[in-house]
Amino acid sequence: MRPEFRGSVPEYFRIWIVNLLFTLLTLGVYSAWAKVRKQRYLYGNTRLDGDSFNYFASARAILKGRILAVIVFFAYALLTELYPLSLWAFLAAGLLLLPLILVRALRFNARMSAWRGLRFDFPARVRDALPLYLGMPLLVVATLGLAFPWFISKHKQFVISHHAFGISPLGCSMPVGKVYGIYFRAGLIIAGMSVVAILGTAMVSPVVVLLPQAGWLAFLLPVLAIYIAYAFAYAYLQARITNLAWQSTYGAGVRFSSTLGAIDLAGLYISNLLAIVFTAGLAVPWAVVRTLRYRVENFTMLVSEEVVHEASPELLNISATGQELGEIFNVNFGV
Amino acid sequence: MSSLAAHYFDGQHARRHEVTLVLSGGMMKIVGREVDAEFEARRVRISTRIAAAPRWIYLPGGGACVTEDNEGVDRLVRERATQRVLHRLEAHPGFAVLAVALVAALFWVIVDRALPFAAARVAEHIPMEAEATLGREALAGMDQFWLQPSQLAPEERTALAGKLESLAALAGEAPGYRLEFRASPVIGANAFALPSGIIVLTDELVKLAQADEEVLAVLAHELGHVRHRHVMRRLLEGSAIALLVAGVTGDVASATSLAAAAPTLVLQTKFSRDNEREADAYAIELLRRAGIAPHHFGAILARMEAQAPRGPMLPSFLSTHPATEERKALSGEH
Repeated sequence: MRPEFRGSVPEYFRIWIVNLLFTLLTLGVYSAWAKVRKQRYLYGNTRLDGDSFNYFASARAILKGRILAVIVFFAYALLTELYPLSLWAFLAAGLLLLPLILVRALRFNARMSAWRGLRFDFPARVRDALPLYLGMPLLVVATLGLAFPWFISKHKQFVISHHAFGISPLGCSMPVGKVYGIYFRAGLIIAGMSVVAILGTAMVSPVVVLLPQAGWLAFLLPVLAIYIAYAFAYAYLQARITNLAWQSTYGAGVRFSSTLGAIDLAGLYISNLLAIVFTAGLAVPWAVVRTLRYRVENFTMLVSEEVVHEASPELLNISATGQELGEIFNVNFGV
Repeated sequence: MSSLAAHYFDGQHARRHEVTLVLSGGMMKIVGREVDAEFEARRVRISTRIAAAPRWIYLPGGGACVTEDNEGVDRLVRERATQRVLHRLEAHPGFAVLAVALVAALFWVIVDRALPFAAARVAEHIPMEAEATLGREALAGMDQFWLQPSQLAPEERTALAGKLESLAALAGEAPGYRLEFRASPVIGANAFALPSGIIVLTDELVKLAQADEEVLAVLAHELGHVRHRHVMRRLLEGSAIALLVAGVTGDVASATSLAAAAPTLVLQTKFSRDNEREADAYAIELLRRAGIAPHHFGAILARMEAQAPRGPMLPSFLSTHPATEERKALSGEH
């Protein structure tokens, strides 16, 4: 069965702009309430087998996390600039805290999400994450990045297989060889498109020489060309890795399938970007809705036997700090 | 008595039950084929209304009902006034148009007024010593790549340093600056303010100037950067802008990197131009107080521009300095 997204752009735009207004008026404090309202709209309009999802997070918990995140952000921005050596301290602290932040963020997000009145869960403990997230970065550096695809496959596997719906766990085993194949082809895409970009820029350069007023184009074109190459490679990785991850995932009586297309996704990213830049940000809600709709429509849950999933008995309170710290530094743990 | 159709979940099993909710006499009844329960209505919590998204009715004991009949829920239980207003604002197309205008205006006020003001106040409270490492490394880096030891006669240097000192003394609160003489065939005639109040003056500028007053005018401009703590303010404003832009575009994770970089760049060059204007105004005020005609400033700027190697032309919104024409007009040069 396929989920569907019933939200509409005009509806989401109205919610987005009103919440942005209040966020600016309150110098950011309202952003936590804004996040909850926007998430509840998006979750509530996403349906699977006729039932919508539900988002529970409390704005207060998110606000606490955001205040901490803003403090950490300013400390990072100022100190690394004033005392460049402190960058290493921040990197070390970030690396050491990564397992903690990752586990808490995923747990918070999972527990705040529900379907058919049943919460998701992420019962992994921080110590389960330690070997992977402390050891792997060292291995990746030691192998000059060759271990990176392996790390990514282990990371996806860790994230998915520790998720549970109620007490029904998910399992996941990613074929590492296929992940390497995907990264290799992404490398080819970057290399190939860079050659095209360089040739294209070289062809334009005579125009720039003839028209000195257009000199700034000489800066813009290579940046643009590299961005497009990067966007395609990124979209390719996203699409193929996500598809592979879901194909390798199984749960009680269910399997999954994901059919994201690399070219569709790249087109989505680039058109989102252009629309956002040329509307001074007003296209953000449109970009959010169409991206979510595309992702939702390319996901399928294959049910082989009816299982009535049960709730997890212990659902403790958990602060939002982990999640929001992850969010502000643009760490996307999702799959 | 009022009732509405809903789906009931017991919170223990992911199984949907079709039910009817009935509210009567302070009790909420949930009746379906396999469900028959009753709760005190005041212990039931109802999720706030957001557009047409389904509403959740959380029951004591962990069960919940969900319904798309938003109107029905509103008839059943009256929402708090703030929630009703919020929903009405979010649903009203006219208010959305107004909100776009208000957001644009607020954005402008924050970027043009509030942020520079706040950054200036905060920067005042951060001691100059905080920039010491940064200043030392910036100068060392420039020395390595672009600067050479000054070839000016020691007497000439002492004379210029003395004149700058008496000029700075006129500013009342003397900014803690340090004047450094360097030669730089690469950079040419120029002066710049580095972190921690280091002012670098190139031999080429001294040679280009037709009078000491012209050199002093440029140095007064650099003093303006030091006095107004532009290095620290650029840092603070840059971080705040990054946060602001991420707040708007952060919803679209895939697009953020570049969608956030472009406006950040444009806004940062705007701050840079504002800082230059502030330093210009400071210089002209200082020159007036010292009895130096401000046209010296315009004259040396014009000569520096004429002599500088012409880089690629940038549109004004990406330029770090205001147009020289504007700056000459400011100093009374026509």
